[in-house]
Amino acid sequence: VVLGFQDAEDLDVPDLPTEPLPLNMGPSHPAMHGTVRMVLEVEGEKISTADIQIGYLHRCFEKESEAATYTQIFPYTDRLNYISPMLNNIGYAMAVEKLLGISDDLPERVKYIRVIVGEVARISDHLTCLGASAMELGAFTVFLYALKAREWIFELLEEICGARLTVSYMRIGGVAADMTEEWGKKLLDVLPRVREVMGDISKLLDRNRIFRDRMDGIGIITKEDALAYGITGPVGRSTGLAYDVRKDHPYLVYDRFDFDVPVGSVGDNFDRYAVRVEEIVQSMRIIEQALAKIPAGRFLHPDPRVALPTKAEVYNSIEAMIAHFKLIMDGIHVPPGEIYSFTEAGNGELGFYIVADGTGRPWKCRVRPPCFPATAVLGKVLPGLFIADVVPTFGMINMIGGECDR
Amino acid sequence: MTATPTNPPPPTAPVAPETVTLTIDGKAVTVPKGTMLIEACNQNGADVPFFCYHAGLSSPAVCRQCLVDVKGQPKPVPSCYTPVADKMEVFTKSPRALDVRRQMLEFTLVNHPIDCPICDKAGECLLQKHYFDWNAKLARNDGTKVKKDKVVDLGPHIVLDQERCILCTRCIRVCDEVAKNHQLEMADRGDHEVLTTAPGHRLDNPYSLNTVDVCPVGALTSKDFRFSMRVWELSTTPSVCPGCATGCNIEVHHSRGKVHRLVPRPNADVNKHWMCDEGRFTYKRVHKDRLAAPISGGIPVEWDRALTDAARLLRAGLDANPAEVGVVMSAQSTNEDLYALARLTFEHLGLAKAYLSGQDQGWSDDILVSADKNPNTAGATAIGAGRLRTLLDLANDIKSGAVTTLLIVGTHGVLGSDAAPGALPLEKLKSLVVIGTHRDPVSGAAHVALPLSEWAEGDGTFTNRLGMVQRVRAAVPPAGDALPGWEILSHLARNLGATMDFADAKAVFNEAKSKLPFMKDAEWGRRYLPVQLRFAGSRG
Repeated sequence: VVLGFQDAEDLDVPDLPTEPLPLNMGPSHPAMHGTVRMVLEVEGEKISTADIQIGYLHRCFEKESEAATYTQIFPYTDRLNYISPMLNNIGYAMAVEKLLGISDDLPERVKYIRVIVGEVARISDHLTCLGASAMELGAFTVFLYALKAREWIFELLEEICGARLTVSYMRIGGVAADMTEEWGKKLLDVLPRVREVMGDISKLLDRNRIFRDRMDGIGIITKEDALAYGITGPVGRSTGLAYDVRKDHPYLVYDRFDFDVPVGSVGDNFDRYAVRVEEIVQSMRIIEQALAKIPAGRFLHPDPRVALPTKAEVYNSIEAMIAHFKLIMDGIHVPPGEIYSFTEAGNGELGFYIVADGTGRPWKCRVRPPCFPATAVLGKVLPGLFIADVVPTFGMINMIGGECDR
Repeated sequence: MTATPTNPPPPTAPVAPETVTLTIDGKAVTVPKGTMLIEACNQNGADVPFFCYHAGLSSPAVCRQCLVDVKGQPKPVPSCYTPVADKMEVFTKSPRALDVRRQMLEFTLVNHPIDCPICDKAGECLLQKHYFDWNAKLARNDGTKVKKDKVVDLGPHIVLDQERCILCTRCIRVCDEVAKNHQLEMADRGDHEVLTTAPGHRLDNPYSLNTVDVCPVGALTSKDFRFSMRVWELSTTPSVCPGCATGCNIEVHHSRGKVHRLVPRPNADVNKHWMCDEGRFTYKRVHKDRLAAPISGGIPVEWDRALTDAARLLRAGLDANPAEVGVVMSAQSTNEDLYALARLTFEHLGLAKAYLSGQDQGWSDDILVSADKNPNTAGATAIGAGRLRTLLDLANDIKSGAVTTLLIVGTHGVLGSDAAPGALPLEKLKSLVVIGTHRDPVSGAAHVALPLSEWAEGDGTFTNRLGMVQRVRAAVPPAGDALPGWEILSHLARNLGATMDFADAKAVFNEAKSKLPFMKDAEWGRRYLPVQLRFAGSRG
């Protein structure tokens, strides 16, 4: 028997007697994606209980939103899932648009732009998750490859909205600036290169023993647990739960595209890895179809009570000046009502529950963070695993503190 | 210092109001006969916009912004000019009514200058509000706007921008109907029509600043307020004007601890929708020459030290001869401060010599301004219950040596009063303790001066000339270390060995209410958090 080539469990060694030992991981730990604290009780290398403590990145998003106009909330949403802020922007904008009753008469071009930049953001989200998780298992090359591809995407995002991370690209009723034709071409150029990187990553990881040991059969979440906890997104789909908001409750123009929803069978770490890899591929399919079909037209709703008029109009007509003034000082007057609007974000169903009271500020703005239930299930999944399994399992859940804690 | 005898409004014989029932947007409503259609609509949730209509003025129906459809009428009717009639069927949101109102707004906007960023009214402008609520279409017209005078010096307090004026004539009617002085008029015609005064005349009536309040746009601006503050940054606290015995209800507009302006708050029984120009400037004294720290022996000291010193001086006087100790109350103080002082003076110390001070009598008219320039003479007189003497008596008592130790609470009008010609010989006093708001000769002459909060800085009540007890609310924090009068007096009483403990102004009010007949019907009112004007909707 040569040690190192066989799993510890396979060795016919009796368990040594141990005492339970409390072990703190985090809130500041190099292998923790966000600031989250796990209080583990270990017996030897085995975890007996796990207490996941969140809230270290709480920023009063919901309360702050009550003091901001509907437009001023966009920068706050950037900081929810800060790996794919575009998707948060879209989810929030759509919720307010539904309250305003303008969802149906949004310009077609807006819907296409949103699909395209949203899927671009999803690719960057999954690339970051995969790269970082691989790095935490020692595969630093994968991290650099993934970040190289993400960098191409960030450059495109910077070109379209001026920021790499804090995009604030959406507006109520549209987007901040139009998408140019050249941008679309650049995006089409980037996609094959991303495919190439995905191939490289796949070669580096798929048959990598160190990687597979921490992926296969580790951190299994059952379909029943996923349903009971309300887990959606890649983590939910890895359990076999084929729920994708884009397919089950199509929004924007997702019903016009041909794409598949990958699902896992076991619900282990490897399924979550594989689902994410496949979702990147599917996102690229959607982008290619959308770029082929995107119509010309306005990139903002025409109503000056919703969208800012152009500067030329503001400086030269009193009507646009008043509209500009009222929108900036009072905000968009959203009629009283409440809405729960949900979209498929990087981590699953991102919901915004907004109560409007007729003023320019929401009375209540609650977020359903998709990684919250997935983080909650860790307390059930981790016991029985080795300490070394914590980091890859946590990485594949992809808890984002900004989103989970708000 | 007695209240000017003013006749309360004659009691009107109660008449059972005749009512009519009409339908507004399909909803049956019953309103008193003679109500204007616009009031019936706006009181019943059918929002109808307007520029020239004002609840306190007559309606000329010049702006055509309140047009509504009435069944059986060939054209939309101006609802501000149409009395309700039985079985009337009104449609405020019919396509035709919405369309004509939108067209009227478009006409109004054709020549309106693009001034919002530099306009004082922006944020509380009716034109902005109505455009956003009712028109919201981008401009179809790119013609040149008519040029008019941008800065017309109309009078001592008012500047007119003729380009911004939308010709609603509200200001003309305020002068005619409130100030009873026809000082404004329209000149020229069509899009060259302008608001102006007669050549050689000025807009200088004592109610001129009401024209700024009623101006739906930023055409008329107050010289005092313009360019000093953006209105949506202001918070509003309801209060009462301290300028005279009328007690006009006002809103104190303040921001970051500073009062920026006073505007009238409608009260049908006191001031309707108006207040005088003089009253609007009473806020200035809140931030000018304030006594910010206790002073003992000419140097600023801590409160504890100042209270001990003040108590020692008073105690020395009381021990020597209680008959030579006097107290001066002020008709500028709130009922609560006066009640606490009266309790200390008469109940705890058993003094016999108490005097009433206050501002001199001034001019008056039969509109709002009262000759008595003190907000609480009625309250002070009632709380004094005949025990208060005049400042002339005080001057004589000091000169004759009958008063050697004096406590003055509230220094407005103590010196240079008509009642005490040649000023009070304060230097003859052995000890002088002053609880005052300002750095003035009285607090300067004091051996111990204690800083008192101003009317806008504390809670309390004033009793106006009609005997109405009206609530004053703290809008801004007190200047420096200043404290409310009742609190200073409680501390002083404790230092003098008397027990007088109040938790807050409301506790004083409740005790005073239970003891004083004139306050028995008074209400403290609910707690009122300052509301930012941006959340209060357009004042228009």
